[in-house]
Amino acid sequence: FRYTRNLVDSGNGKLNLMILCWGEGHGSSIHDHTDSHCFMKILQGNLKETLFEWPEKKGNGEMAKKSERVLRENQCAYINDSIGLHRVENISHTESAVSLHLYSPPFDSCNTFDQRTGHKHKVKMTFYSQFGERTLC
Amino acid sequence: LPAGLSQWFPALEVLDVSGTGLAELGAELLALPRLNTLLAKNNRLGGPGSLPKGLGQAPLGRSLRVLNLSGNRFAEVPPALLGLRGLQSLSLGGNRLHGIPPEIQELRSLEFLYLGGNFITSIPPELANLPSLNYLVLCDNKIQSIPPQLAQLHSLRSLSLHNNLLTYLPREIINLVHLEELSLRGNPLVVRFVRDLTYNPPSLQELAGRTIKTRNVPYAPSDLPENLLRYLSLASNCPNPKCGGVYFDSCVRQIKFVDFCGKYRLPLMHYLCSPECSSPCSSASQSSTSQSESDSEDEASVAARRMQKVLLG
Repeated sequence: FRYTRNLVDSGNGKLNLMILCWGEGHGSSIHDHTDSHCFMKILQGNLKETLFEWPEKKGNGEMAKKSERVLRENQCAYINDSIGLHRVENISHTESAVSLHLYSPPFDSCNTFDQRTGHKHKVKMTFYSQFGERTLC
Repeated sequence: LPAGLSQWFPALEVLDVSGTGLAELGAELLALPRLNTLLAKNNRLGGPGSLPKGLGQAPLGRSLRVLNLSGNRFAEVPPALLGLRGLQSLSLGGNRLHGIPPEIQELRSLEFLYLGGNFITSIPPELANLPSLNYLVLCDNKIQSIPPQLAQLHSLRSLSLHNNLLTYLPREIINLVHLEELSLRGNPLVVRFVRDLTYNPPSLQELAGRTIKTRNVPYAPSDLPENLLRYLSLASNCPNPKCGGVYFDSCVRQIKFVDFCGKYRLPLMHYLCSPECSSPCSSASQSSTSQSESDSEDEASVAARRMQKVLLG
C-alpha cells in the first residue's frame, strides 16, 4: 500500500542500486541521506521532489521549503545531506511511477522529519524485494 | 466500442481502453460474462450515460472486480456503478467529484477505494459500512472533517488523508487498530493547543435528561411522550473515564494532542460533558519529549481563564 524499494544490485559492496515503485498518490516522508550520495533517475512516470532546509536545532516550527520540481521520465537528480532534505512523491492520481536509485555508501537507516514541527525520528529502511526475491518481515 | 464485442470475445477478462478519448462506455460491454478488470482512465467520461444502464444486473455487473475510471470528468459518482456488488477495487482519482453518495455502502465487496485528487468536501458516515475496505485514499481533496463513524472500518489498513483541510481528527480514530499507514501531511492541523471554553450552558431539559441517565431513574414508554423517549435515547457518554456523566446537545469541544504510533502528536477532538470535566488520557499517549502547554496546564487555571476562540475548521 505504499511505495516499494527493490534492491537490484550492491556492486562491490560500496553501493546500493534499487528500483522504487510508486503507486498513484504515494509519497515518501521528508528524509535525510545519512552522509551518502544519492542519485535518482525516473524510469517511468513523474515524481515531484520538494527540497527542505535542515530544521533548527530544537525544531519547533514548520519546516522551510527550499524548492520543488517535477522530474520527468529519464531525468536525473542528485542529493546529499549538505544540499538538504527532500520529500519525493508521485502526485499523479492516474499513473504509477518507477525510479532508479543509487546510494553510495549504502545505508539502511535515516531520519524522517515532521514537516509541521521539524522533529526528526530515526527509521530503519526495509526492502520489499532483493535481487528479485520478496523480502519478508 | 464495437457492438459485436461480447460475441467476438466472450472469454475477455481484462479490457484496457485508457487514453482513447471515449465519452461513454456503451451497452456492448454488458454481455461480457468473464470481464473482471475494466480500465478506462484518462478519457472523456463523466456526462450522463457514461456508463451503460442496467450495469448492476448484467453479466458484466456480476463479473467485474476492478474498475478504474481515474482521470475522467465525473462530477458525481455515477449511480450506475453502485449496483456492482462484486466490485473489489474502484478508482475515481483525478475527476471532479464534489462528494461521495451514501449509497457507496452498496459496494459490499469493496476493498480498495481511490478518490484522491477531487473536490470532495465531506465524507458520508455510510462509507464506514463497507465491511472489507482495506485501502482508502482521500488525499488531495477539500475535506474539513472526518466522521467518527470511520473508526468502525475495522479492516482498514491504509488511510490516505494528505493535502486536505483537516484541522483535527475524531478521537475514535485511535480505535483503528489494524491501521498500518496514515498520511496527514498538508492539512492545517492545529499545532498550538487552544482550549474552547465557549460553552452554552445546558437547558433544563438537558439537565433533567442527564439526571435521569446518571441516576438511573427508571422510566417506561408509558411514562413519557415519544419525543422525550427519543431524546433520552440519544445520550452520549462523556469520554472521561472518571466521569460517569452523559450529555445531549450541550457539550464542550476540546482538542487534545495524542501521540499516534509513538511518533506524531495529532490533535484529536473530544466532546466533554462540561468544562470542569477533563479529557481522558489516551492509551496511545507517550510523554517522552517536553510537552506543549496542553499537558502541563492546570485544569482549574484554564477554567478560570477568559473565554477563547478555538481554532477549529
